[in-house]
Amino acid sequence: MSPPARGTVPALTAGLLRRNEFYLLLVIVVFSLAITIVNPAFFTVENMFDLIRSSAGMAILAIGFFVVLLSGGIDISFPAVAIVAQYITVNSIIALGVDNLWLAFAISSAIGIAFGAVNAFFISVFRIPTFIVTLATMNIFHGAMLEFVGTKAVNAGQLPNCFKGFGLADILSLHRADGTTYGLSVFFLVLLGVILVTWVILKYTVLGRVIYAMGGNMEAVKRSGFNIRRTQFFIYCYVGLLASIMGIIHVSLIRYSNATYIIDSELLHVIAAVILGGASILGGSGTLTGTLLGVVMISILEKNLVLLGLSSYWQQFFVGLIIVLGVSITHIQKRIQNRRSLALARE
Amino acid sequence: MADVFLEVRRISKAYEGVQALSEVSLSIGTGEVHCLVGENGSGKSTLIKCIGGVVTPDSGQIVINGRVHEHLQAIDAIREGIQIIYQDLSLYPNVTVAENISLNQFVERRASFVNWAEVRAIAARGLAEIEEDIDLDALVQNLSVAKRQVVAITRSLTQGAKLIIMDEPTSAITRQDVDHLFSVIARLKQKGISTLFISHKLSEIFEIADSVTILRDGKKVGDFPAGELDDQKLTFLMTGRNIQYTPYHIPREWQQQAPLLEVRNLTRRGHFQDVSFSLWAGEILGLTGLIGSGRTELALALFGLNRPDSGEILLKGKPVQIRSPEDAVRLGIGYLPEDRLTQGLFIGQSIGDNIVITVLRKLLGFLGLLDSGRLKQTQDGWLSDLKIKAPSARVRAWSLSGGNQQRVVLAKWLATKPKVFILDGPTIGIDIASKSNIHEIIRSLAEQGIAIVVISDEIPEILHSCNRVLVMREGRLEKEVPDVAAVGEAEMLSFVSGKLSNGVAGT
Repeated sequence: MSPPARGTVPALTAGLLRRNEFYLLLVIVVFSLAITIVNPAFFTVENMFDLIRSSAGMAILAIGFFVVLLSGGIDISFPAVAIVAQYITVNSIIALGVDNLWLAFAISSAIGIAFGAVNAFFISVFRIPTFIVTLATMNIFHGAMLEFVGTKAVNAGQLPNCFKGFGLADILSLHRADGTTYGLSVFFLVLLGVILVTWVILKYTVLGRVIYAMGGNMEAVKRSGFNIRRTQFFIYCYVGLLASIMGIIHVSLIRYSNATYIIDSELLHVIAAVILGGASILGGSGTLTGTLLGVVMISILEKNLVLLGLSSYWQQFFVGLIIVLGVSITHIQKRIQNRRSLALARE
Repeated sequence: MADVFLEVRRISKAYEGVQALSEVSLSIGTGEVHCLVGENGSGKSTLIKCIGGVVTPDSGQIVINGRVHEHLQAIDAIREGIQIIYQDLSLYPNVTVAENISLNQFVERRASFVNWAEVRAIAARGLAEIEEDIDLDALVQNLSVAKRQVVAITRSLTQGAKLIIMDEPTSAITRQDVDHLFSVIARLKQKGISTLFISHKLSEIFEIADSVTILRDGKKVGDFPAGELDDQKLTFLMTGRNIQYTPYHIPREWQQQAPLLEVRNLTRRGHFQDVSFSLWAGEILGLTGLIGSGRTELALALFGLNRPDSGEILLKGKPVQIRSPEDAVRLGIGYLPEDRLTQGLFIGQSIGDNIVITVLRKLLGFLGLLDSGRLKQTQDGWLSDLKIKAPSARVRAWSLSGGNQQRVVLAKWLATKPKVFILDGPTIGIDIASKSNIHEIIRSLAEQGIAIVVISDEIPEILHSCNRVLVMREGRLEKEVPDVAAVGEAEMLSFVSGKLSNGVAGT
């Protein structure tokens, strides 16, 4: 979140026009209108509720990824953390025979935070580049689980009721014309909670501001006397926690736990969403609003390209394109900015 | 100034056998502007790091406000009011001015939450205190370097600074901004805040400092009131020798030959227009002009990095096409870029690798593999030829001082045996002694028959090292000064700024 802007009204609009979020919103609106023309069912409350239900998990992952990116790091192990936390949790709940959602969240959160701590350990103690650490741990976490826990899928019949109940729970029910009901998933509440907590951390805590500062100038943060190691532990554990929450949401939504899900599909979509949302791959800039808009855009793209008469392969193509273009723009901006500011000689 | 704020007592520090500081003492009074001078490698950086508690000295004491510290920690130094502003300013480019000024305070008091009203209030108060006006909501990355400095100073101030240490604050800003910075320092002085100021530029020292401490090779040469020093004396104390300039004359053996390089009516729209000149072997031709006068653009055109629209370039009387740096190198043209850190060096690689990068092809032996014996011979040869101060060729380029780095870049180009060598700002950011050493190298190269072009906006440098000067203005060759010995600094300056269109020293 950007610090409070206290400009005059024209300054505000001028600021709006410079904001990446504004253009993204415009694109989303245009895209939605196009889809609505082809398929009027798109722009209905029911479809919106459906969009929220199906993309809440991705949004939570994206928020976690955004926080790491902001700090100048990158964590690509989150899909592995999500699926491992999910699969172990589901199997533990079955084995324990205690069909309780809170217990499920407790187990999965513990796993997510522990994995995050492993990442943070290598990153902060050995100062290994974050990408390499998480690329390696992604494989370690997932590989170890496949070997030691198993690969057998848990189907809807075997899935404990707490997950199924969670997946079906609505916080708001509406009636269709034919009398059947549809609703706004409880996932929305979880997502809202994650957004709120992240927003408060990023905007109102010293920790959050230091995360921004780290992305801008790591060296300067060190010199300010701030405990970088602790901040890194927080960041990577937080991502782990969010990934583990997503793991539970994911299994509750599709009522099926497969040891190889999430890991192949979510990584690029989440990266694309966050970059589309305007976060710099180099760290230090981006907003939560942008990230969420990016998720909305990718989700719509994911589900509606077919409606526009394009094959679903186009979706893969677009996701790749978005990442390349988004990262290129960030780098070009950085270059222009570097040229503007005199390069200072290093001591 | 009677009160002593900081006293450094006989501090020594060695790094891996190199004595960076030996028994250095220093004392700074309340509200004093103290200047620390020395060449690169003289121990200035180590000394300020000791004062800031970043580096622990091997022996000696630091006394702040009467309190004796044997092992000063960074956090203690900050609590005692010592603030170091490093050359890179340690700002967060991606956040606002207000937050840059205030965030460290929240960190320091171990607060959990940020109060945005307070963030702004602290910043506004700090800026008001030194009578500066900067938009609190502007992002630091959009500010000029000079404004960023003010932000950094304000931050130090709001953290309760009693002594602000500035590491070469004037190296990256314009003259006008330097004046402004000095007025800020004067305001700090009025508030009783001391400043320790590190600089290479002699004129600035006289302008701002109350007293001057000179370091050489890790030892203190002495403390001097600024009024007692002059340019020559300071140079002597810093370097331990007198540096005298004798104008360069092109050796007779080269004088009679035909020009090596001829440029005829070279034009690139928006960059330079209708430029014609000749360059002889053994010559050091100065090319000067204001930034934007087209001097660098012209030089890049000769190196194949900026293609002209029309005109021709002749080498030894034959027209040549220079479309790329590869063409240029093949034709025997070398170019030492202005920014050695990003364009001239592989900063993370060893200096040996940096030197041979341009001639790798010539060092191939059996099976087309690199001949390690010849490789080493070449590297060591250049290290000793150019007197590069480094323990071995395996040392990384970033660890060298500016002067030594520049010598590595020189070696890299000289290894290609250029016939024409263009040097863009060869002594930017280099201290006096290294500077004159680089000038000596350039001179000896010219004497060996290399045609040299030196691009610089430092008039004294041009006057001292060249035999002939071309002045560019607004893309055109404004003036040719055939004999630099005949013109003075002021006159030269007037050519550059275009205030005098017809000089005394006509062609």
